[in-house]
Amino acid sequence: MTVNTKSLGPRKVSGVPVARSQRGAGVQTYIPEVARGMVIVMKHFFQNTKEMALGQRNDPVLESIEEGINTVSYPEQRRPYPTRFRGLHRLTHRDDGSPRCVACLCCSTACPAQCIHIEAGEYPEGDPKRGYERFPKRFVIDELRCVFCGFCVEACPCDAIRMDTGMHAAPYDSRDQFIFEKDLLMNFPGRDGSFATANPRHEPGEPSHPGIDRVHGH
Amino acid sequence: MNDIASFAIRFIAIGFAVAMFAMNLAVVLTWVDRRQGAMIQDRVGPNRAVAWLPTPIAQGLALGPAVLLAVGVLGYVYTHEVTGPEVESRGLLFSQLAVLLLWLTGCVIASQVKARGPKSSFDLWIQSLGEPRFIFFGGLVAHVALFVLSLMLRDGKGGETFAAVTSTAGPALFAFAALAGAGYAAFSIRKEKRIGLRLAGLLHPAADGLKTLFKEDFVPPNADKFLFNLAPFISFFPALVVLACVPFADTLCFATDASGKIQLGQLASSVPRVGVCTEGALKIQVVDLNIGILYFFAIAGTGIVGAALAGWASDNKYSLLGGLRAASQMVSYEVTMGLTMIGMIMVYGTLQVDKMILWQQENTWGVFAQPLAFVLFFTAAVAESKRIPFDIPEGESEIVAGYFTEYAGMKFAMFFFAEYIAVVTASALMAAVFFGGWSLPFVFRDGIHVSLAGTPLFDIALPHGGVVALGAIGFILKTIVLCWLQLTIRWTLPRFRYDQLMRLGWRNLLPASLANILLTGFVVMAIRTAGPGMESVMAVLSNVCNLVLALGGLGLLVWFAVFMSTPRKRKQILATSSAQYAAEVGGTRSLRMGA
Repeated sequence: MTVNTKSLGPRKVSGVPVARSQRGAGVQTYIPEVARGMVIVMKHFFQNTKEMALGQRNDPVLESIEEGINTVSYPEQRRPYPTRFRGLHRLTHRDDGSPRCVACLCCSTACPAQCIHIEAGEYPEGDPKRGYERFPKRFVIDELRCVFCGFCVEACPCDAIRMDTGMHAAPYDSRDQFIFEKDLLMNFPGRDGSFATANPRHEPGEPSHPGIDRVHGH
Repeated sequence: MNDIASFAIRFIAIGFAVAMFAMNLAVVLTWVDRRQGAMIQDRVGPNRAVAWLPTPIAQGLALGPAVLLAVGVLGYVYTHEVTGPEVESRGLLFSQLAVLLLWLTGCVIASQVKARGPKSSFDLWIQSLGEPRFIFFGGLVAHVALFVLSLMLRDGKGGETFAAVTSTAGPALFAFAALAGAGYAAFSIRKEKRIGLRLAGLLHPAADGLKTLFKEDFVPPNADKFLFNLAPFISFFPALVVLACVPFADTLCFATDASGKIQLGQLASSVPRVGVCTEGALKIQVVDLNIGILYFFAIAGTGIVGAALAGWASDNKYSLLGGLRAASQMVSYEVTMGLTMIGMIMVYGTLQVDKMILWQQENTWGVFAQPLAFVLFFTAAVAESKRIPFDIPEGESEIVAGYFTEYAGMKFAMFFFAEYIAVVTASALMAAVFFGGWSLPFVFRDGIHVSLAGTPLFDIALPHGGVVALGAIGFILKTIVLCWLQLTIRWTLPRFRYDQLMRLGWRNLLPASLANILLTGFVVMAIRTAGPGMESVMAVLSNVCNLVLALGGLGLLVWFAVFMSTPRKRKQILATSSAQYAAEVGGTRSLRMGA
């Protein structure tokens, strides 16, 4: 019986053989590679230490693609939040500094976390706004309960509540410090520094006022 | 009786100073290891510890030392009149110092102004001078110009006038620069409510040390309580006391009056180039033992006991393994350390470290005489300190924390600290034995003398106190550089495996050190029998080595200056709204190292 020896043994493989790495004295003693590694370490060391000592380190936000230290040293350095970031709420102001909120309870109704509490107040007898709109006697947001979904901002018909402060809730040390009252909410400016919004408000009684009120009637 | 008392006082004072040196350098080293170790990974590193100072106190801290310095310098210079060649050296010293302080202050103020924008008319003026580095370049030009001017005018009528002017105006300018810098700092912070003192993050290791003091002192229930408590002390103590045999500076000579009494208030103004003063000599060394370097090895060897005891007494398998590993590793590498040192002893012909340094001052640094010994000794010293890449006794990935697994609080800190102090002491010993200790190339007891093969090239006389101070600064700098080298190794290399470690110690380093002894023996023998011809060749060789060192040092300084003053061009990317907001407010406020 004959055996086909060609089918046994290693098959011929085509391709270019890869040379084995040389294992000379340099490789065996590690010394050249150790020296190379130390040179790299020293390069980083000198460059970064110099830039830290002279205050020349990269701006971690603007120059973050550059080599060097790009750590944001919070809280001394902060990365500004992007434009559409939903941060702490603020209550926008009218021209006279009162809140734009008309206490319609849309936001607290829309809130899935039920973190908004509003006590509505009526304007006094004789006030042109009486019967037309109300004002918030209390406006309270529990910032710990809030899920920052932004539904309140969407729901508001008056652009009275916004989340464009660009701030996050600071870590306080007790829960009641996260319950933000009306005064505090009205104290936060928007990203542009103003307390108003871009949408103008037309007070009832003004000629520009498009809607219906007691004075103008139907 | 008086002698014993004065000896005791000297012993305690210098011993305290040396221990403080080692411990403080170890604290600084902890900081360097953490903070600068972060630098190589492009991180900021720990710098959160801060002491808030009320503004008046901060202003006082800025102004006080400057006023003291200015008043001290002016008071000393104008009450101690000098004559002859000392006028020249005083003028040179103070004018250079004044220029140094002036450009340094100018640079700091200019970079501050550049960082936060000008706030006063003075700021505007500083800004009009240009980039901070131009002030630095101006300072360099002034340094060189003053030096060249003093050399040119040296042997003439102009030289005397120049010396007189610089020796009076120099100190005044120096005092002015100190006061102006501190005054500006105090003025510019006047509106701040409080000033945060961070010392570039140096407060962080201090805060950590303080924290360990208040931590729970845990002792495992089945541990041997006495040995468990004793072990950290046994490891800490030898690390501290080994420095006793290392001199920190040249022997200080005090002046003697007519009756031969030592005047402790006044240093000898100048001393001869060779020989040590017999009267009024103060060795800047804790004890001058005749066994010198053997003391170092004897005491350093006892540190092993601490690690082994800690491992045994903890009643923990990991600790026991760590303790055994520590003992075997340290014993192995101790052999290489001792054997490499024998080559040095053959070259120097002495065991005393200060005599070794004197040899190096007369000839050249030991590393040129015994390069192989340095490499071996350095490797063995890194292994002795049980640190990466030789940190097998505490290999975290294998045996938790090795022999100090069970230690917490201050006792853990003592082991930790002993390692850092071991780094400092090993560096100090290597600086003394291989890198000339306090001796600098061409700096002799009476001044700087540069000569090649017997031909003098440059000579200048320096006062005795200045030479000793220069030597001490040189020694400390060398120690720091060697410490830093050890840290760099730690930051670069991964850990050895246990068998690799043993193989390196017994099969590579030990035979190499034995071969080194043999080779050194033959060479020393050959040179000694070759006669005076060989001696002069060796003298020229050592001169060349010194010249290379001095030029290399100057080259390093120039490189450093260029490196520090070259700004890097960076590209800003304003792709996101975050980046646009940041750009609007002038970039994310960038922090200095100190803040």
